[in-house]
Amino acid sequence: MSVFWSLVKLYVKSFYNLPGKKSPGTIAGSRPGLKPALKAVGVGALAILAVGNFAYLFVMLNLNLYQGLSMIGLQGLLVLNAAVMATMLTLVVGFMTALSTYFLNDMELQLLSMPIQPRALFAAKFVAVYISEAAFSLFFMTTAMVIFGLKEGPNPLFYLWGTLAALLLPLPALAACYMIQIPLLSLSRFLKNKRTIMIIAGVLGLVFGLAFNLYFQKMMPPVADPAARASAAAGPDSLVSRIGQAYPPALLAWRAMSDPVSPGALVAMLELVAACAIGPALAAFFLSGAYARSLVGFNESHVRKLSRSGAGAFIARRIRAGNPFLALVKREFDMMNREPMYLLNGPFIIILMPVIFGIMFVVQKDTLFSDPDLAGLRALFDGGLGAVIAGLAGAFLGSGTSIACTAVSRDAKALPFMKSLPVKPSSYMMAKLGHALAFGFFGSAIGVGLVAVAMRLGAGAVLSGGAVALSLSSLFNMLGLWLDTANPRLSWDNPIAAMKQNPNAVIAMLGAMALLGGSGWLSFRFSLGPGAFALWFGAVPAGAFAALLAAYPRYAEKRVAVMEG
Amino acid sequence: MLELSGISKTYAKSAVKAVDDLSITVKDGEIFGFLGPNGAGKTTTIKVLIGVLCADSGTARVDGIDIAADPLGAKRRIGYVTDNPELFARLKASEYLNFVGDIYGVDTATRQARVAEYASLFDIKDALGGSIGSFSHGMKQKLLVVASLLPDPQNWVLDEPMVGLDPRAAFALKETMRSRAAAGKTVFFSTHVMEVAEKLCDRLSIINKGRIVFTGTLEELKEMQGADGSLESLFLELVDEQAEAGA
Repeated sequence: MSVFWSLVKLYVKSFYNLPGKKSPGTIAGSRPGLKPALKAVGVGALAILAVGNFAYLFVMLNLNLYQGLSMIGLQGLLVLNAAVMATMLTLVVGFMTALSTYFLNDMELQLLSMPIQPRALFAAKFVAVYISEAAFSLFFMTTAMVIFGLKEGPNPLFYLWGTLAALLLPLPALAACYMIQIPLLSLSRFLKNKRTIMIIAGVLGLVFGLAFNLYFQKMMPPVADPAARASAAAGPDSLVSRIGQAYPPALLAWRAMSDPVSPGALVAMLELVAACAIGPALAAFFLSGAYARSLVGFNESHVRKLSRSGAGAFIARRIRAGNPFLALVKREFDMMNREPMYLLNGPFIIILMPVIFGIMFVVQKDTLFSDPDLAGLRALFDGGLGAVIAGLAGAFLGSGTSIACTAVSRDAKALPFMKSLPVKPSSYMMAKLGHALAFGFFGSAIGVGLVAVAMRLGAGAVLSGGAVALSLSSLFNMLGLWLDTANPRLSWDNPIAAMKQNPNAVIAMLGAMALLGGSGWLSFRFSLGPGAFALWFGAVPAGAFAALLAAYPRYAEKRVAVMEG
Repeated sequence: MLELSGISKTYAKSAVKAVDDLSITVKDGEIFGFLGPNGAGKTTTIKVLIGVLCADSGTARVDGIDIAADPLGAKRRIGYVTDNPELFARLKASEYLNFVGDIYGVDTATRQARVAEYASLFDIKDALGGSIGSFSHGMKQKLLVVASLLPDPQNWVLDEPMVGLDPRAAFALKETMRSRAAAGKTVFFSTHVMEVAEKLCDRLSIINKGRIVFTGTLEELKEMQGADGSLESLFLELVDEQAEAGA
């Protein structure tokens, strides 16, 4: 295998945390048991659910656009919109991915010491990042192609050109990302720090998420005038159309797909191939050397030293005894909040989600208050439903931090050391629960507070909602911790894997959403009275939490004893 | 005193015993070296001894306390230096020391005195305010050593402690081992550095493929092998003999 392909294989395995082949040292004659099979089925179901969730969002977006544009005879612009959106999505997501994987870990320093051509090093990294971007672009374009295909029945070549375009469009976007990043990281010292670039990538991701949410909300029904709304978002005078017409690859993709059987379509596709290949070729040719040089000295850090007299004063001031359990809880806070990847995907959700819902509320406010079906809800809000909604929102925020459901996995590297300390495993694990419950409290308070302000709820509803939020979020956090105790992810190279690639986080998030959504619907459907409301949303989860809490320490003791992290 | 008796351990998903019917006793006031090739079972043995791994069979006792029956009681009597100092990179050195001090219940005055003493000895006193992530491998190793000494444990267990240490710190570590043994405390350490084991150990064990192939003094090893070479040559001879016998 060539150096380039060996590097591609290495990077792909490392990026996507792919499992290696079974080692020959595994137990002879062992056969696959029920547990791995069930796990595979579960992970598969989760993947389908997660992909289905995004597919639903993209389908709804494209469907609404199509319906709006077809009213004014401009449905062909759906394809241009898809090409532009696929490019923009891969540009922003690609920028974050390229930045966060610019320097993976110290393995890259090892690679620098090997006789590897900088071009092979850069090209391999580019290919590894491109794979996820291409999948993302294809996913988005496919939803648009399916909607357009079902409605308009184009020639099969439409799908071929669309698929090729989806695979080609991320190339110039990704090349542009590296053309910005390589000079930037070559010139600036402060950026050559994994932690700094993770924070920047995270903030960019949030800004992008909010912008996409804004765009998405504008496209979602119910709408007063779908045609006007679609035209404003994707019509000939819209920003997306203007970008598309000014951006040759999107324009070429649109041209090929608009009239797929004409000779012009083939010419447009050939032009698209050429246009998309130029960027990566230029980047590989001119920037590979700079890329390899920019990796030198990455993550360098210097120790802040104290003076001789300062060290003595420091010890007197900072070395102080404290409570052992609080020391365990403090360690949980520090280990999570000081790792940018964990902070942004965990506790920061408490801030991010209210902002996202705030945007939804502001964008949909007119529609919400003008909808005759929703106008009657005011009475229901005052009659108890407001407290339910506030409680569910608080519970969602309070349990959405993924602190509990990744607590053991995140700590995998420290597990042997922690087990060597004279600490009861149950105390160690209860500290993790304490950490999650503290954020559960903040999330509940923020969620309930925001809904209370938006719906102008009274003190009674706020208190009831707060109790519901605390009760439910505590239960969900307990269940999440139980899940990660039962099935932790103890083997990983990159801390991201412990959180973002942890099935427990997905199960906990989707499970909480399903339970909260289902409970909300039930309470709305059957107009629960105050007694039933208090029982179902307050007493039942609180009771379940208490029961699980009582049983957990013994379970944790048993599980930690057999964990071989 | 540390006692391992009939310890066997097979890892999940492995057909091979990492440690097979292993027995060692380390007396108070003794410096005990634990030697063996890579993958011989040294770290597994240490992990069983300190309660990180459960043995499939056999018992591990710390000052007479069975670690399986009373893990907290046994662990309180151990100071452990891991072979992997890549821990808690996000914490500051002082935070890590406070964490260990809190877990072992070391009061403020004692803690401050010991931190000042050992941080000076291992030359990291001026770095106590720094983040562990910014430390070199050697500095992290020194911090682990200092932290392990905070509770003044009766039994000091060190897994490859010399790796990454500069000559001055290595000397300080050896002197600390000697002074602790002289004070009646137990020192148990694994190493690949034969010169260190030769000069420092009162007794030693050699492990190969999960089995103890020798336990005793250097003189007893020489006697057994019928040769008068260095520990290094005796070690290689013994391990090669085992390999040939197993082949």
